[in-house]
Amino acid sequence: MNKLTDILFFVLVFLLQVIITDYLHLGPYVYLCLIPFLVLCIPLSRRPQAVLLAAFGMGLMLDLLSDGVAGLNAGAAVAAAASRRILYRTLVNRDRQDQTEVPVPAVVGLPKYLKYAAAVTAVYMVVYVLFDCISFRPAGFILLKIVASTAISTALGLLLVLSLQNRR
Amino acid sequence: MRSRYGFIAALTTVLLFILLEALSIVMMVNNGAVQRFKVVGAIRHVEAGIWDKTRQVRNYFNLHTENERLNAENLQLRQELARYTAAAAALDSNRITVTPDFTYIRAAVIRNSVDAQHNYLILDQGADAGVERGMGVVTDRGVVGIVSAVSRHYAYVISLLSTGQSVSAKLSASGAFGPLHWTGTSPDRLLLQEIPVHIQAAPGDTVVTSGYSTIYPPDIPVGSVVETRINQGSSQDLTIRLFEDFRTLHYVYIVRNNNGPEIQELHEQAD
Repeated sequence: MNKLTDILFFVLVFLLQVIITDYLHLGPYVYLCLIPFLVLCIPLSRRPQAVLLAAFGMGLMLDLLSDGVAGLNAGAAVAAAASRRILYRTLVNRDRQDQTEVPVPAVVGLPKYLKYAAAVTAVYMVVYVLFDCISFRPAGFILLKIVASTAISTALGLLLVLSLQNRR
Repeated sequence: MRSRYGFIAALTTVLLFILLEALSIVMMVNNGAVQRFKVVGAIRHVEAGIWDKTRQVRNYFNLHTENERLNAENLQLRQELARYTAAAAALDSNRITVTPDFTYIRAAVIRNSVDAQHNYLILDQGADAGVERGMGVVTDRGVVGIVSAVSRHYAYVISLLSTGQSVSAKLSASGAFGPLHWTGTSPDRLLLQEIPVHIQAAPGDTVVTSGYSTIYPPDIPVGSVVETRINQGSSQDLTIRLFEDFRTLHYVYIVRNNNGPEIQELHEQAD
């Protein structure tokens, strides 16, 4: 994947996310978000500070473009970015050898990638839903929203990654 | 060198993470009404907790001043009560002049002993405050002793917890009276003697000052009956548990009997 394709992928997914946030409402229990997959696409060799800033920028941009509460997606994206390296080492590459630049299903295997993507998405959703709902919604609602949003976002994101991977 | 660089890099990452999250929260608070309500509410909750704790600490350090103030107020109320009591008595007896029988001087205990057989107290009021030898010393929970010596600023009081000291006391319910004195054992137990056998006294009955001496005002609660014992078939001895704890005495009232000199003079004439 060359740089131009990378940028195109980023822009397309980001625009898709803006459209989803603005026009696609799946009820109170589901927040569909592809930002975690954008975070996953940042090469692992990038400096952590740069990754945090990039994630913050993406989240904030989404907040501003989708007329949401500024800081909501930004905070969640920063948490996802901060956790991705640890999760990668824990779930994908335990012996820390053959570190991939950008983990994709074709390289690390679908099950491992699924676990990794789901975990990063879960971190994102935990922060997002907690920021959004804590102390105003019952714990059951919060838990259900986290689980449902993680599952559906991971499924859609995976679908997107697999389809794009096959095209490349 | 490499590890130091790694540590600094990790530290920077953590700090940046905290900074960005804080920035997100600040933005949320400023932009989202719900988030603002939540965060500001949480901050107010913490603030209220801190304010409450500091208030408690401040109150604790103000306790001494507050005690002083309450004591002064107590004294004033006591004086007023004495005045009204005298006024009521005057109305009953058609007396024209109204002067209270007792007036009070507030004093702090600066020395106190309870472990000896002859115990004493030193109070921070003396002749300058109008204290005289022979005056009684009381609290709202009992009799404390008698002023034995006076200097300009201090008074020496023989404690009721001294063998040989006694005060005239009565059972509140029946009015039967007798001398109340310390037996020299426990600082919270006294003996009320010479109560007639036919008087029924039960544990828990209240004992008050009789008012038959010129030293103490009547009806100051002193203690309650713990047990009764027939003494040689002719009278009862009642063990009394004191209401006042002598070990924690801080403030007392020195009592002046305004009619004392007149009564004393009468005694002398009769003798």
